[in-house]
Amino acid sequence: MVSKRYRQWVKDYQDQAWTLARYLLKDAQEAEDATQDAFIKLWRHQETIDPERVRPWLMKVVRNGCLDRLRRRRDHVELHETQVGADDQGPLEGSASSELGRWLQGAIGRLKEPYRSLVVLRDVNQHSYEEVAGMLELSLSQVKVYLHRARKELREQLSEVRP
Amino acid sequence: MNEHDEKWEREINALLDGELGEGGMERLKREAAADRDLARAIIEAQQLQQAMDTIRVDKAPARLRKRLRAIPRQERTSRLPGLWRPQWAAALAAVPLIIIALTLVQPDKPSARDVAKARRDLALAFAYLDRAGHFTAREVRSEVGNTLTDAVAGAVLRDIKSQYQSAKETKA
Repeated sequence: MVSKRYRQWVKDYQDQAWTLARYLLKDAQEAEDATQDAFIKLWRHQETIDPERVRPWLMKVVRNGCLDRLRRRRDHVELHETQVGADDQGPLEGSASSELGRWLQGAIGRLKEPYRSLVVLRDVNQHSYEEVAGMLELSLSQVKVYLHRARKELREQLSEVRP
Repeated sequence: MNEHDEKWEREINALLDGELGEGGMERLKREAAADRDLARAIIEAQQLQQAMDTIRVDKAPARLRKRLRAIPRQERTSRLPGLWRPQWAAALAAVPLIIIALTLVQPDKPSARDVAKARRDLALAFAYLDRAGHFTAREVRSEVGNTLTDAVAGAVLRDIKSQYQSAKETKA
């Protein structure tokens, strides 16, 4: 019963968890490790998690795990900034159906936190505002304001490459 | 449109999120007709939305899927009491084999009864040798006299007694 429930969670959320980790870490191997760590925690805490709140709980754990890894990798932004969209193994490869989409993936990857997480969670993974607020431990109004800023930044970048 | 006008930003985002009602939509259109910056911002926002629509949630790699499915089995194994983990179970299974092997290669140890019998046999043998020595001495004395008796039989008797003594010391 427990295994069956867990298997269903894996089936339902593994892609979203992986996508978030991939955008945040920009490294396929590390994103796999971070996703696995989050699911191990899910397995261990499954009895205490509200089944209705598993998805936001999991995404929050994935994000926190990724941020921990980024803190350990001090120079992550400079080192990997140009790799987004060019990695041959990650989700960014082939996941956008157009040149514009691939450009946008790179632009999202260059956003600072928490803007990057906000855009991935809301615009890519399609979580509700309420869920995103819970995952990032922000108020609903903060989520909306930050997301507006992130989208505005992307919009401005887009207008530069696409006059 | 003022670039920092948070009100319009909220309206545009509400439009993108599909949360702008018909009334709001009409109001935005009227404003955009009179404000080129706002009109451009709306167009850019819609272009961004179109670009967002081309991004999909990525499918997790097969290797990761396998790792995630394996978690319950790995977790159950790691939570077993130490002696029930596979590596310890294998080691425990090997213990009886080791005991049997050691038993088979160990040399036979004589029982207390065997030792007592061996001691009796040894004492009998030395008693026989002692008597044989005295008999030899008598024979030699009768044939060649006391001087030669001591030279031959005395040396034999001393040798027998010496061996008997060291055997006793060893047993002790």
